[in-house]
Amino acid sequence: MKISSLFLGAGLLLAVCGCTNAATPQAATDQAALMGKASIVFSGTVSQLAATSFADVPKSTQTIVVHVDSIVKKPAAVSLKRGDSVTVEVKDASAFQEGTQATFYTDGWIFGSGVAVKELGHVMGAAVGPVHVTTAGQNPQGTPEQISDQELRERMNTSDYVVVGRVTDVRKWNAPKSKSGAPLHVTEHDADWHEAVVEVQSVLKGGKVKGNKVIVRFPSRNDVAWVRSPKFTKNQRGIFCLNRGQTSGAPTTTVSGQQGNVYTCLGHGDALPMSEEARVRALLKNP
Amino acid sequence: MKAVASRLRFSSLLFAVLLVVPLSVIMARFLIACGQSPDPPSIKVVNLIPASLSGESNQDSEPFLAIQNENPQVMVASAFTPNPFSMTGNAPVYVSQDSGQSWALNAITPVQRMTCDITHAMATGENHPRGDLHAGTLACASAITLDESESNDVASSAAMNVQSTRGNVDQPFVRAMGVSSGDRIYVGVNDFNQANGHTATIDVSVDGGATYRSIPIEARKTAGQDGPSVRPALASDGTVYAAFFGWRKFDGKTATSDVVVVRDDAAATGTNPFRALKDPSDKLPGRVVVKNVAIPWSNAPALGQERIGSTLSIAVDPNRSAIVYVSWADKGNKGDIYTLHVRRSTDRGVTWSKTDLPGATIHNATNVSLAIANNGVVGFLYQQLSARRWVTHLVQSHDGFTTARDVVLATVPADQPVGQFLPYLGDYDYLLAVGNEFRGVFCANNTPDFANFPQGVTFQRAADFSAKTLNDGAGNLVPISIDPFYFSVPVMP
Repeated sequence: MKISSLFLGAGLLLAVCGCTNAATPQAATDQAALMGKASIVFSGTVSQLAATSFADVPKSTQTIVVHVDSIVKKPAAVSLKRGDSVTVEVKDASAFQEGTQATFYTDGWIFGSGVAVKELGHVMGAAVGPVHVTTAGQNPQGTPEQISDQELRERMNTSDYVVVGRVTDVRKWNAPKSKSGAPLHVTEHDADWHEAVVEVQSVLKGGKVKGNKVIVRFPSRNDVAWVRSPKFTKNQRGIFCLNRGQTSGAPTTTVSGQQGNVYTCLGHGDALPMSEEARVRALLKNP
Repeated sequence: MKAVASRLRFSSLLFAVLLVVPLSVIMARFLIACGQSPDPPSIKVVNLIPASLSGESNQDSEPFLAIQNENPQVMVASAFTPNPFSMTGNAPVYVSQDSGQSWALNAITPVQRMTCDITHAMATGENHPRGDLHAGTLACASAITLDESESNDVASSAAMNVQSTRGNVDQPFVRAMGVSSGDRIYVGVNDFNQANGHTATIDVSVDGGATYRSIPIEARKTAGQDGPSVRPALASDGTVYAAFFGWRKFDGKTATSDVVVVRDDAAATGTNPFRALKDPSDKLPGRVVVKNVAIPWSNAPALGQERIGSTLSIAVDPNRSAIVYVSWADKGNKGDIYTLHVRRSTDRGVTWSKTDLPGATIHNATNVSLAIANNGVVGFLYQQLSARRWVTHLVQSHDGFTTARDVVLATVPADQPVGQFLPYLGDYDYLLAVGNEFRGVFCANNTPDFANFPQGVTFQRAADFSAKTLNDGAGNLVPISIDPFYFSVPVMP
C-alpha cells in the first residue's frame, strides 16, 4: 500500500469516526492534505491549558498539554508513544478545554526531555489508523529517506525535465581554468564534479531530448555539503528530476563532439528508483 | 567515659556499615540507571542528544558553542544535525537553559534541513535574556550561500532573522561582544569574492548585524587564495586579533602556508582596520608567526576517518590583550600525519615564541581550540588519534605550558562507527571560558560506556550503560553514531 493511500485512508477513517468537523468530502480532502503536510500526527486528550509539558518550552496562552492516546504518524528518530504528554502550540486556544479529545496534525518544534509541536490543524475526536513512521531526520546511509508526495510534487514542479533513463557512462569532469589563469577555489566543500551520460528512455516532463541523451553533472565527494546529492553509477536505471546546471560553474559540455546543455540532479529525491515510477506518473497527472 | 565513647564509635561504625554502605550502593545503582557515573566529579560531560530524539543515528559532527555571558546558564550548541521532522524544515540548534545539564533541539536557523557549516556567538542579549544569538551558516542546497543571522530568543519558534547573505564564501567563524552601543560581530570567512586572491576576510558589524563590512586581511601574494580557516579573537578593551593561513603555494595535496596574525586596536571600527601589526620582513600588515609550513590537504579520510587541511585557533587574554596564543596543525615531523603547535605572544603579537611552547607539540591530532580564562589560564582543547582511538584532551596552564594539567574527556574507538560523510568528527570543535569554567563541545562515538569517558558522562538519550547499547526509548536498539558532547571543566587556580 502506498503512503499516500495510507494517509487518505486515515483521513477518511477520521471523517467517519464521529468527528464534528470531518463529515463532508471536502473535510476529508482537507484532512488528507493536512496528513501530507504534517510530520507528527496523533490523537490525544487535553490535560492542561496555557501550560507546557517540559521546561525548555516557553509557556504561553497558545500552549496546551495533550496526553497522547495514539500515534498516527511520526519520524523514526522521534521518541513518542502512547501515554506521553506533548506540548502543542495551538492556533486558537479557545477551541480547547481540559478533557477535549482531538487529532492533532502538527510539525515539530522543540525536542528535549519531551516533545513540543506546532499545530497545523486539528479534528475533534480520536483517529483510527495505522502508525506511519517516516524517515525524516534519519542518517543518509541508513534507511533511504522517503520523499513525501508533497515534496516530490514540489520538486517535479521546479524541474526542467523528469526522465526515465539509464546511466551508460560516468566520467570525471575537470572544470576549465579561469581566464585569469588563477586556480579554482579550493574548499573542504569541493564537489569533485563527475558527469553521468544518461540514455533517456522516456520523458515524463519537459520537451524532446536531443539524441535521447543528457549529461548530468554530479558531486562525487562525500563532503557534508553533498552527502544527500545522488551519486551515479554505470548501468543505474531510475527516474531523474533534472535542472539546467548552474552550480558547477559551466552550464554546457561536449556530447558526441557537440556542445550541449548540462543538467544537475542535486537534491534529496532527485534520483528515484524505478519502483517509484507509478507514483511519479500519478503525481504528474495530478499536480 | 572512654568505654562509652568507644561504644559510640563502634555504634557509629556499625551504623555506617549497615546503613550508609547499602545507601551508597543504592545511590550508585540509581545514578547508573540515569546514565551518570557513580562518583560525579566536578567535571561535567553531557551528550547533547535529547531524550525525545533517542531514535536518531545521524553523524552529528562539527560542534560549536555559544554562551550568553550575562546569563551563562543559557547556551546554544550546533552540529551537522538535520531537522528531525522535515526534509524541508529549518536546520536546528541545541539550546540549554540550565548551564548544560539538559539540551533541547530547536529548528530556528535560516538553512533548510541541515547546515554545511555553522558557528555562532551570543552577545549581551539586550533584547531578551535568551538572546542575542548571531550565527554564520552555510546552506548547500544547490549553491553554497552564507547567511549572517540573528535570534532575539533562542527558545522561541521564530526562525533566525537573516541580516546579510552572499555566495562564494567558505567556513564562517563567528565571535561577538556586547557593548553599550550594540553588539559587535566579527565573522571570519574565506571570501572568494575578494580581489587578487586575498580571500582571508573578516565581516565586521558594529550595529548588531544591521550592516556588515567585509574587510580583507591578507596583504601578501597568495596561491590564488588563503586557507579556509579565518579566526577572530576579541578582548574586552576593543583589541581584535585574527589568524589565518596565508597560502603561498598549493599543489592539490599540500598547502605551503604562512600562519599570519593581524590586529586592530579599535574594534575594527576605523577606516583601515587590522593593520596594527606589521611583519619586520616586508613591513606589510600581518605578523607572520611561522613561514612556509607544509599543511597537508586531504578531502578524504587521512587521520583515522577524519580529513585534514585547515586546523587553526587563536585566543586572547580577555583582560590583558597583550597576551595572545595561536595554534595550528601542519605536516610536522617525519612519520606524523598532522601535528599541532602552540605559540604565544606577550607583546600584542609583535613577537612570538620561536618554538612551540613546552609540551605543546602534539602528534597526529586535530580540532584545536584555545581559550583564556579571566585569571590568565589558557585552555587547549584537541583530539588526538592514538592507538586507534580518538582521545579528547583539555590541557590547562597558567605559565605558558611550563606546567600543565591534562584532562582526558573522552577516549573512544576511532574506527566505529563508519563515517557517513566528511568531516567525521568535524573540521573544528570549540572551547570558551566563562567565569571559573572552561566550557566546550566535541564530537565522539556515542557508545554508552563509562570507560570511554574517564570523567563520567550524562546521556539524555535512552542508553543502557550495562549493555553499552542505545535504544529509541521504546526498547528498540539504535546503532552507534557520532554525537556532540558538552563539557564543563573548572579553571585551575
